Amino acid sequence: MIIEYHRPQTIEDALALLARTEPVTLPLAGGSALNRPSAEAVAAVDLQSLGLDTISKRANYLDLSAMLTLQTLLDFFHSSVADDHVLQEAFKKAIQHEATYNLRQVATVAGTIVSAGGRSPFTTAMLALDASIRIVSASRKAEAEEIGLGDLLPFRTEMLRGRLITKVTIPLNTTLAYEYVARTPADLPIVCAAVSRWSSGRTRVALGGFGSEPVLAFDGPESGGVEAAAISAYSQAQDEWASANYRKEIAGILALRCLEQ
Amino acid sequence: MKISLNVNRVLHDLQVDAGENLLKVMRRLGFFSVKHGCETGECGACAVLLDGKPINSCVYLAAQAEGHHIQTIEDIGEHPELGWKLSKGLHPIQQAFVEIGALQCGYCTPAQILAAKELLDRNPEPDETEVRDALSGVLCRCTGYVKPVQAVLRAAAVLRGEAVEPIKDFKPEGGAIPVPPEWIPGSGGEPPDIGELSASPAVDIASRTRVLPRIQVTPKEETWSTIGKPEKKVDALKLVQGKPAFTADFEKRDMLVAKVLHSPLAHARIKRIDASRARELPGVAAVLTWQDIPRVVYSTAGQSDPIPGPLDTFSLDEKVRFVGDRVAFVAAETEEIANLALELIEVEYEPLSHLLDPAEAMRPGAPILHDEPEYVNFADSDPSKNLAAQIHIDIGDVKKGFAEADHIIEAEYEVPKVQQAHIEPHVVLTYWDEDDRLVICTSTQVPFHVRRQLAPVLELPIKRIRVIKPRIGGGFGGKQEVLAEDVAAHLTIATRRPVIYEYTREEEFIAARSRHPMRIHMKTGVKKDGTMTANEMIVLSDTGAYGCHALTVTGNTGHKSMALYVGDGSYRKSPNIRFHADIVYTNHPPAGAYRGYGVPQGFWPLERHMERISRELELDPLEFRLKNALRSGELHPFSTAWSEGREPRPEIIETCGLEQCVQQGKAAIGWDQKYYNSSWKKLPGKPHLRRGIGVALVMQGTAIPYLDMGGASIKMNDDGSFNLLVGATDLGTGSDTVLAQMAAEVLGVPIDDVIVYSSDTDFTPFDKGAYASSTTYVSGAAVVKAAQQVAERIRIRAANMMNEDNGLDINGVEEQGDKRSGRITPQDIRLTDRKAIALNGRSFTLAEIGHNALHHENQEQIMGVASFMSPVSPPPFAAQFAEVTVDIDTGEIVVDKLVMAVDSGVIVNPITASGQVEGGMTQALGYAVCEEMLYDDEGRARERDLRDYHIFQAHEMPELETIFVETFEPSHPFGVKAVAEIPMDGVAPAVGNAVLDALGIQMDDIPITPEKVWQAMQNNPKEAD
Repeated sequence: MIIEYHRPQTIEDALALLARTEPVTLPLAGGSALNRPSAEAVAAVDLQSLGLDTISKRANYLDLSAMLTLQTLLDFFHSSVADDHVLQEAFKKAIQHEATYNLRQVATVAGTIVSAGGRSPFTTAMLALDASIRIVSASRKAEAEEIGLGDLLPFRTEMLRGRLITKVTIPLNTTLAYEYVARTPADLPIVCAAVSRWSSGRTRVALGGFGSEPVLAFDGPESGGVEAAAISAYSQAQDEWASANYRKEIAGILALRCLEQ
Repeated sequence: MKISLNVNRVLHDLQVDAGENLLKVMRRLGFFSVKHGCETGECGACAVLLDGKPINSCVYLAAQAEGHHIQTIEDIGEHPELGWKLSKGLHPIQQAFVEIGALQCGYCTPAQILAAKELLDRNPEPDETEVRDALSGVLCRCTGYVKPVQAVLRAAAVLRGEAVEPIKDFKPEGGAIPVPPEWIPGSGGEPPDIGELSASPAVDIASRTRVLPRIQVTPKEETWSTIGKPEKKVDALKLVQGKPAFTADFEKRDMLVAKVLHSPLAHARIKRIDASRARELPGVAAVLTWQDIPRVVYSTAGQSDPIPGPLDTFSLDEKVRFVGDRVAFVAAETEEIANLALELIEVEYEPLSHLLDPAEAMRPGAPILHDEPEYVNFADSDPSKNLAAQIHIDIGDVKKGFAEADHIIEAEYEVPKVQQAHIEPHVVLTYWDEDDRLVICTSTQVPFHVRRQLAPVLELPIKRIRVIKPRIGGGFGGKQEVLAEDVAAHLTIATRRPVIYEYTREEEFIAARSRHPMRIHMKTGVKKDGTMTANEMIVLSDTGAYGCHALTVTGNTGHKSMALYVGDGSYRKSPNIRFHADIVYTNHPPAGAYRGYGVPQGFWPLERHMERISRELELDPLEFRLKNALRSGELHPFSTAWSEGREPRPEIIETCGLEQCVQQGKAAIGWDQKYYNSSWKKLPGKPHLRRGIGVALVMQGTAIPYLDMGGASIKMNDDGSFNLLVGATDLGTGSDTVLAQMAAEVLGVPIDDVIVYSSDTDFTPFDKGAYASSTTYVSGAAVVKAAQQVAERIRIRAANMMNEDNGLDINGVEEQGDKRSGRITPQDIRLTDRKAIALNGRSFTLAEIGHNALHHENQEQIMGVASFMSPVSPPPFAAQFAEVTVDIDTGEIVVDKLVMAVDSGVIVNPITASGQVEGGMTQALGYAVCEEMLYDDEGRARERDLRDYHIFQAHEMPELETIFVETFEPSHPFGVKAVAEIPMDGVAPAVGNAVLDALGIQMDDIPITPEKVWQAMQNNPKEAD
């Protein structure tokens, strides 16, 4: 339950609000998650006026401002501006799988990552891409912290308390493949896999479809062992939606299929 | 906090709560086109355009919207004729939705149109994929998205300035399908070869944008001017404008908001309940517990009297029987206060052992759910055994039939609990009117049953209750239940104030009704030549905590499905069929009515079993089915055995177009090219994929014989228009439209001259309500009878007027027509083109006649009142086909195409009827592959929102094709049979059989999830090679 609403005009003001301990104060990155019914009384800090909605290419990187909507990102990849076609198709697939058209209009890059459960296709893809997260805080604004998504995801609540994601950076010198299994084409994944490969041979495999967040199954200098790593990563991935036995087998298959692309 | 919202370019200064979502504020401002369907952004019914982009306002704060431009459908277009002031008319997208019939209940229509507008504003020439992506954020449970997509493509063409063909002139793809010669009386033609009848055997598979279905018409249809035509829905204009037409749109001054405290336990006694703190909360008007209201036992099943099931429910009880059961009612000034009050109610439960496995229900020592002394049995119900109902039907000599078989094939099947998932939740508004009569304005399929069944519960006589049914945002059986009305009514009685009670989406999942899950054992005897000698179905059905619809739903599981195959040869006259069902209580949420009403549960095992048999015996699956299938002229085998708990009476099948359906469906799906074609099953370059094709034959019923009654009245106005008043309940199906078409056909007027008002217990004649596929048939026959009475009065008056004009005495005209003297008799007059025309060409307009009747001579109100009750329930028949692609590594299934060729008698309106088929197939597809409601060991639901309970979205649909094979059902004046429910029956088994065709793997329970397929392949690795 949202009991306060703030719309700061600067990042400093936003951070000052987020630094409060009473009431619990959370950033409102789009609202499709935070605005859901909840018994917890929170203050919402709407980030829409902070100018955090840009997208820019920087050498081999793409900088995504925190408030960039998924649809704007998708439109970017639909346009000819993005020239890495391998990345484009898989990334578009993961974005479209994440949310329907209406929800993509408000769901933001950072908001999706922060609120993601294990079944988030977009976050799985971002994890495979080794997305880097820029975090600022009121106390250390001059020294914004850069942290890998994989390091952030399991500790989001603690690491983001009183702090703000301003930017998410993904590499462009990599390929991305995304595969999933679901009951229907638009249903949440039971298992999804995203694989990034760099020209150096570095390969990262992220798995989604289970648990509280997607997991990194493999990050190595080359792709040997990817299947085994994926199977191992989901060997205990049992819940009310699928058995671990199924998930681990499918994780291995999907990881291999991603590699073959 | 204070904010300003720019809505449709008008600034509104508002005081809102910080957490108030935009949906609530928009509705508070009177923008009722913005609909509540969920609270989590999944359904999209609440969409508005924010700076031109569609966003779901239920997950968007009103405060967030400040500084942005909000646009709603109220700003998009308006009725083209609004008196003396010039109207801008409908937007082309709205116009296209009206013309295409792209709406059924219309609840999601404003959101779909806004999504389409955003698309066409940025992309004037979208392809179908882009249209489907744009519509992906708005769930529709009615249409299957076929017609909305067509409408957007048509609107795009109009906006580009291209000419589009009027829908009335539009010819079905490939033209109408020729009538087979044997259907033409006296022709004696030979049955055509398979495939010969198809106008376009190689159907244009790529196109998903057919405007009209293909139809094989009956010869009679050629003579009609309105019946059989794609008339626009009579409610289309208001629905595309998002007008306040639904229950929640009718607000009353001083209205309170109701909330219900639900049980957290599956089975418990309430040892102590203390609502004092809740009652003391400012803004709370009433809190009711079981101690505060009369203890009246009743059934929530909305059915005719006597209720064919046990009476086992109280509005509030001192015992709870499922997680979600009612504990207390609250009425408060706001929803927020009501929710706070719920938290202040102190309840001490005494947990009881709970029962979740239906197989355990009748075993000694099982927890007993219903030990209340007020329990009223019906038929074989026995609460001491947790038995809500039991059915045993033996037709013929089943034992002898099995003894005569060369093969006996047995197997077990299972079907899940699933949700109707209508986008408009259950919602009811109650208030005392100026005469101190209780008005119940409710989204119900059964307004007259609501009135009758609630009267004793509320301790009011029937005459002091008025039930009004506004537009319904989908029901699908979920609203054939007296489910929410008593909550608001009790609170109105307690407070004397208007009360609105609207379910949340979570309440829909934990506290509404669902389809009965069942475990089914099939045993079939077959001779070597494929003749079935005996067929047996044993069912264990889980009715949940209450026995609403327990007997009748499960009875229909056998009655409709097991009637389809009688055997061949001598078995046709004396089939051997057994159906046994135990319908047991468990501590799951209650099941109830859901479109198909038990029949889909029967056809999953039956049609999977038929496929299993045909493969085991190496019989052609379609030849085997048709060899044993029921035919016209034969006795409905169950008609002498069971009739919804009432006296059964024999019934002959007059019409059966099943063979034609098979032929048409085969051609459309390419059966002969694919079924025995192993190379087709493998996809080049994709070794992990297999294709398969499957079929299911199905039948349903049309109304309940000797029980279902519908009434209608028609009165003539002084401009020659007519008011048609029906008790029938259009829940989005288009029934108001087809009833108007029937009246218009008889009266010789366009449908625009028939003004329909439906379902108000004070003003319209009785109708049993919208269920059992009965409205077009039963209510339609009542409309025809009433219209015939009106037509006769018009002809008499017209003859009088004509004779008087000729200076002839009008006396005795009816009895003594004398053509030699020029006197005109009523029999000489036909009604057409808004005129009464005599044989000699003399005519009066209906406006002249209506005016004459009301104002000038021998004044009278020309009107007719009639009702109809059918002695028969003529079954529609269908062949349903599915084509799938299966991933043999992961078990994932993609359904590529569904085809349904259906004999529903004469199709009154091909647009509304095909919409029924498309929407039904889509719901049934969910039943096949993704929909189910599961519970943990404590009876807590896994599915509580539309994210986990996935229903198909616009951008993931397979191709759908509908074919109508018309027959003329002689028991109805226009030859109709039902169409609404039969699409639910065959999709799942057709998909299951297609998976079998692809992999050689038997899937015996649904939904067919990837893991189930994968597991089956692990267990049968050779089959899946």
